[in-house]
Amino acid sequence: MRNSLPGWFAGAGLLLGSLPAISVAQQATTVSGRVLNEAGAPVQGASVSISALNIGAYTNAEGRFSFSVPAGRTGPATVTARRIGYSPASAAVTLSGAPITQDFTLRTAATQLEGVVVTALGVTREKSQLGTAQQQISAEDLTQTKAMNLVQQVQGKISGVQITGAGTQGGSTNILIRGANTLAGNNQPLFVVDGVPVSNFNRGGTLSNGYDFGNAISDLNPEDIETFTVLKGPNAAAIYGSRAANGVIVITTKKGSASAGRMRTELTSSLTMDRPMLLPDFQNQYGQGSAGEFEFVNGAGGGNCDGCDQSFGPKLDGRLIDQFTGKNQPWVAHPNNVKDFFETGRTFSSTLSVSGGTERANARLSVGVDNVDGYVPNNFFQKASGVLSGGLQVNDKLNTTATIQYIRNNGKNRAGTGYNNSILEQFFWFGRQVDINALKNYKQGGGVNGGPDSREYNWNYNYHNNPYWIQGENGISDTRDRFIASAQATYQFTDWLNASLRSGSDIFRFDVDRQFAPGFLNGTYVNAAYNGGFQFTNDYNNEHNTELIVNLNRNILPNLAFTAMAGGNVRREYYSNESVTTTGISVAGIYNVANAAITPTLGQEVRRRHVNSAFGSASFTWNGWWTVEGTARNDWSSTLPKGANSYFYPSVNTSIVLSDAIPAIKNNVLSYLKLRGSLAEVGSDAAPYQLQTLFSGNPNKFGGLPQFSLGDVLAEPNLKPELTRSSEVGVEASFFDGRASLDATYYDKRTRNQIYTVPVSATTGFAQKLINAGEMQNKGFEALLAVTPIQARNFTWTSTFNYAKNENKVLELAPGVSIINLGGGLFGEMRLEARPGQPYGAIVGYGFARDEQGRVLVEDGHPVHADTMSYLGSIMPKWTGGWNNQFTYKNLSLNVLFDMSRGGKLMSYTNLVGHYSGVLEGSLLGREIDWDQPGVLFNGVNADGTPNTTRVNSEAFFQNMFGLAEPYVYDADFVKLREIRVGFDLPQRYANRLRASSLSLALTGRNLAVWKDVPNVDPEFAYSSGNFQGVEYGVPANPRSIGLSVRITP
Amino acid sequence: MISRKLYFLGAIGALGLAACDNDKLTEVNQNPNSPTDAPTSTLFTSSARLTAARFLDGVGGTRYGFLAQHMAEVQYPESDQYIRLRGNNAAGLFSTPYSSELQDLQLVAQRGLAANEAGTYGPALILQSWEFGYITDTFGDVPYSQAFKADSGILSPAYDEQKAIYAGIFANLDKAAKDLGAASNTLGGSDPIYGGAPAKWQKFANSLRARHALRLVNVDQATASAQLQAAFSGPGGLITTNADNALIQWPGDGVYDNPWSNNFKTRDDHRVSDRLINVLREFNDPRITVLAMAPDRDAEAVEGRTTKWCPTDFTTNCYIGLANALTHAQASPLVPTTSRIGGIFYPGATAYGNYGGGGSAYPSPLMTAAEVLFIQAEAAARGLGGLTAGQANGFYQAAIRASMEQYGIPSAQITAYLASPAGTLAAGNAGLIQIAKQKWLALFQDPLNAWAEVRRTCQPATVEPGPAAAEAILPRRLQYPTNESATNAESRAEAVARQGADNLRTRIYWDKNPTAAPTYQAGCGDRAS
Repeated sequence: MRNSLPGWFAGAGLLLGSLPAISVAQQATTVSGRVLNEAGAPVQGASVSISALNIGAYTNAEGRFSFSVPAGRTGPATVTARRIGYSPASAAVTLSGAPITQDFTLRTAATQLEGVVVTALGVTREKSQLGTAQQQISAEDLTQTKAMNLVQQVQGKISGVQITGAGTQGGSTNILIRGANTLAGNNQPLFVVDGVPVSNFNRGGTLSNGYDFGNAISDLNPEDIETFTVLKGPNAAAIYGSRAANGVIVITTKKGSASAGRMRTELTSSLTMDRPMLLPDFQNQYGQGSAGEFEFVNGAGGGNCDGCDQSFGPKLDGRLIDQFTGKNQPWVAHPNNVKDFFETGRTFSSTLSVSGGTERANARLSVGVDNVDGYVPNNFFQKASGVLSGGLQVNDKLNTTATIQYIRNNGKNRAGTGYNNSILEQFFWFGRQVDINALKNYKQGGGVNGGPDSREYNWNYNYHNNPYWIQGENGISDTRDRFIASAQATYQFTDWLNASLRSGSDIFRFDVDRQFAPGFLNGTYVNAAYNGGFQFTNDYNNEHNTELIVNLNRNILPNLAFTAMAGGNVRREYYSNESVTTTGISVAGIYNVANAAITPTLGQEVRRRHVNSAFGSASFTWNGWWTVEGTARNDWSSTLPKGANSYFYPSVNTSIVLSDAIPAIKNNVLSYLKLRGSLAEVGSDAAPYQLQTLFSGNPNKFGGLPQFSLGDVLAEPNLKPELTRSSEVGVEASFFDGRASLDATYYDKRTRNQIYTVPVSATTGFAQKLINAGEMQNKGFEALLAVTPIQARNFTWTSTFNYAKNENKVLELAPGVSIINLGGGLFGEMRLEARPGQPYGAIVGYGFARDEQGRVLVEDGHPVHADTMSYLGSIMPKWTGGWNNQFTYKNLSLNVLFDMSRGGKLMSYTNLVGHYSGVLEGSLLGREIDWDQPGVLFNGVNADGTPNTTRVNSEAFFQNMFGLAEPYVYDADFVKLREIRVGFDLPQRYANRLRASSLSLALTGRNLAVWKDVPNVDPEFAYSSGNFQGVEYGVPANPRSIGLSVRITP
Repeated sequence: MISRKLYFLGAIGALGLAACDNDKLTEVNQNPNSPTDAPTSTLFTSSARLTAARFLDGVGGTRYGFLAQHMAEVQYPESDQYIRLRGNNAAGLFSTPYSSELQDLQLVAQRGLAANEAGTYGPALILQSWEFGYITDTFGDVPYSQAFKADSGILSPAYDEQKAIYAGIFANLDKAAKDLGAASNTLGGSDPIYGGAPAKWQKFANSLRARHALRLVNVDQATASAQLQAAFSGPGGLITTNADNALIQWPGDGVYDNPWSNNFKTRDDHRVSDRLINVLREFNDPRITVLAMAPDRDAEAVEGRTTKWCPTDFTTNCYIGLANALTHAQASPLVPTTSRIGGIFYPGATAYGNYGGGGSAYPSPLMTAAEVLFIQAEAAARGLGGLTAGQANGFYQAAIRASMEQYGIPSAQITAYLASPAGTLAAGNAGLIQIAKQKWLALFQDPLNAWAEVRRTCQPATVEPGPAAAEAILPRRLQYPTNESATNAESRAEAVARQGADNLRTRIYWDKNPTAAPTYQAGCGDRAS
């Protein structure tokens, strides 16, 4: 075989059908050169090759490449340089044995209609031959600015992807691709890193309680990512199987490459300042109390309303009133008492990587550190990650690569979420006269101001803890230790046939330790009669995949290229959780099981799932412009019934580059036109252990007696897999020689046989029943339009607009089921539902009673509440979009990204509670002059049809509004100035002093401005990445960050 | 070359074979966390705890406790105003009990019946009847005969008429009382109410039968009387001493505490209603010191009231009740000047101070001797159930004594009280009013039962919606949970068509003829203003 190489190439050339006439020469030809971009900067990692000979190299950091063509190959050949994000460039050379120098300048592809892209299974392919929609983000686009979660860094950049940033710092980021598919299951996409599916495990908070510990995908360091590709639906992702129904995000990490004996070092550092982007508008005219009265005695009801937590008290006119700070204090507003609680957070982030290699071996080691000082007091996050990847070309046939990544992610004293736990909660139940600075010294104790001795110094001893005490004395910490590792060996049988075996695991342990000091008022965590409590939980997750794939790639006819792939995958998932919880400990401050005064509740859960799969694909490309591809997959899942656990699903897609097929259609305007279409089906299995109704044990003994109870879910022993069927057609076109381009897709996807539990009448003895029914549809249109309005010698302006309109509709639920409850509001005034004929996530709640003419009915001056709940809107936006502008002038660049969402609704409990409690500016309605005059004149009619003329006072008015959802449902529309980046590449001489090839500085900003309809809150929020979204309470706005970053490239 | 290819093809084949052995794959799906079966006794323990925690709470969650107006809400009066009692707010009294403990009790009963063990099915049937009584008295028609039949494919159980549910309760209690006579103690220690003692369960069965019999008296006096008689003469007798009370003894271990004390740990928005304080004051009742505590501050000084705050120098005037369903603004200033519920219900340390202790382990009564004796007193006074008017005063006095002893009132004070005018039963309607008021007092820890009695007897007549209540009439029932409209719409609609609109004003079967109550007064339950 060693001797037969030339013959091999000859054979390959014949088969590829494009072998130029090459005669035999006596010595090897060296081809070398440099690849630069339009700005003259080196392009690293570009592939330069003579594809006909299957020979080539990658450029190094200086953009240089060199390879040699074996002796015996002479004659004309085409050398092509390619790099993701650029249009390929080719040059004709003549191989003669004499060294050839050939440089290339690559032009940035505005929307990358052409070029090599990463597709399913991490395979790089010509985008022009893809029949499905996908969008790829390059490393540069990804790291424009710094957010706490990788996924947030692509916000606004990908059409059809709705990303909702977390409420609390370090919290969950929700991501939906083309809407929600499944009624009750997971709607988050699958993440795959270098071929290994990785977990996006979420431990979120809720509307009423809890802590949001974020989702696990945030572990990945964006600086290690080479490409971030979104396969937008089942069509692009069918080959990933069960979990592809929600789309797939394929991530490849940076690798080492040949470096001519040098070590390549890259350093990126950034410092970012964060503050909540907005805070509610509070009123500053009335202080704590009710009916205009207040007097502090002990903060627990001993005085007039001193245990109250609303602000309908006396006017803040400077009169002297006994307050928590002392007798006869001036009664004045503290307008910044909420704002002052928040600090300026700091994020310091650095990644150092070294890489290098030879022709046969390469390696890259990267170490990244994030240090975040949160914007609530005493809140910190730390992340350290190390990635080592290496590749070894063992011999001509065998290539091996391996990557191991270790991440340690640590959060300290995160703020709580929801009605009973949010750090903002007490500012909505608050006295506007409270001097927040006086609360900082909480250690002086409650005895100082007449409160309970056992409590911290505070302004109220009935319902709230001092927020500084909460953050200072209750240790909430979470640690995730994670390994993501994979190894792959590829054996090249011939130049058209190879097989690769890949095995990879994602393993993490996630510890959450919550320690609550005595006096912590949330009864979920601490029993008031004891000395504190704790909750320890420990998650262990291990997913292992082993995959064998055989690839075939050869031309059948001179003009017909054929590629095929067949493979099998074995997936093993193991998850376990253990928890120890007690609401009472004996000795304060010792958070150990041995110190539990109340017998701890022990929790234990184990989940296993095994899935075996066989899959394959075949594609034919005619003349390079017409491609037809088919895929097929069969899965066998452990979670489906014995004998019926196999399910098969196919897909087919085609693409035609019309401008190549009919070159005549190209003209001055149209430069490129491609049509594509695809049909796909993806099956999904169920969660483990759904086939049988079981008894659940209660971990607590009742006075020593064991307790069991029959489960509330009626199981379905004959479950069938869930099926998502999707069709899409798309057009890709570029105009004016690439100055403008459009990539648009229309899709229609339906998920049926959904596996979910439907509520059944509890009178059956079960609350829910597992079923295989229902259908949900998402159809929509998404487009990416890119234009380069100005392209001068020194100045370029590129503008990209992405738009996605998704129409989600619940088509059908189970027979006899008209509503699925996705979750309830706080006080029973609303619920989030799935209802046939309406979009998923319908807000249903109590509204105003109206007469036949639609006028609101009023009784005694108050609006009358409707007797039944009604539909008040859907949380699903009608469309989302992003608009990115990039301006470059010489070595200066400016990026401005707007992100927008329109047409969805949200339910705001911040507004409900903040009006009821009288702290928000809006609650001044009816007490503009004094607390009891002139009153609110509600616009409505009395029962007899006469207009309402009765004025009611503000406090009574807002109290009467309690129980209504309608006044607090708002448009969730927003436009955000999501990112600004001003970049500056320092002149080469400065870089040279550091022995680097480039040195760049950037000023960055995130979430700098918002235009919105809803008052007082950020319309974008999440507590978890679950399906209960769009209902807000006390979520701090997403951070506004301003930062400075430095990047040194070798 | 060829051999390598074969090697790889072999590997593919092996992977394919692994993929084919897919039946074995499903063995992974055996749930390691939960069993497919559980001991009957453990189901009973869990059910008994849940059932009591749910229907003897009333201050947390749904806060239905305000309906009986033993208590009033001092800071956030939405429940007291009936706003937080609409729609799904009452789901916790309907949906959850069916799918939790009632379902488990059904299993216990079925298993007991299959094994012919009355010691198992008897207590299950009695406890289930106890709970169904509360559910039907709260909502009216509810699923009964078709409930718990998902196995037979019934996923939309029909609603039974309340009359039929009552008949079912009577039949089950009859069977339980009879069969328990020859039963052995099968539940033993896993029965947290009676330790499995069949004789005690018999007493509970007969007593519960009497409770429900009397409930029907305004609409079907004949059945009421017959069932009372059957109850009074049932095998094993009645609960007539506090030693036989059906109680849930809370461990008070921080995990399972008395639900009231649990709520009071962090919430200080309950006060004793002025309705209750006034009745206690009217007769100078020593129980006032147990059921209420003196307010933090002197209301006389603060409010200019005529009542006096006097924590050391006891008179009943030291206790100040709170009016029900005031507005927010009216109620809030009264926090320091109105009486909290008695210290025995408090857990010790609370978030807002220490107001008493022992409440965590304070038992919740499912049925007491006092209630049974009052039932007998009323039956006697009205000549029902085979009793005669001459027996009434005896039962009446025994009932008051039992209630006072239950709260640890010293014997001398009881004797003195019984010697006062309130301690002797008057003749005719005046006597029936005395019985009704005393019974309402005695049901202090059983607010749903007390609310039912107020609806039936119209006593105390002071129980009416407060000024800011969302209804102008004392609620006659609660709304079906909204889930039922979605999951069992037709059955629910039939019930609504039969029973009347699904609101808080519709009268349920036994409440349809309120004027038949001898103690009825015009405008009963209507807001006076």
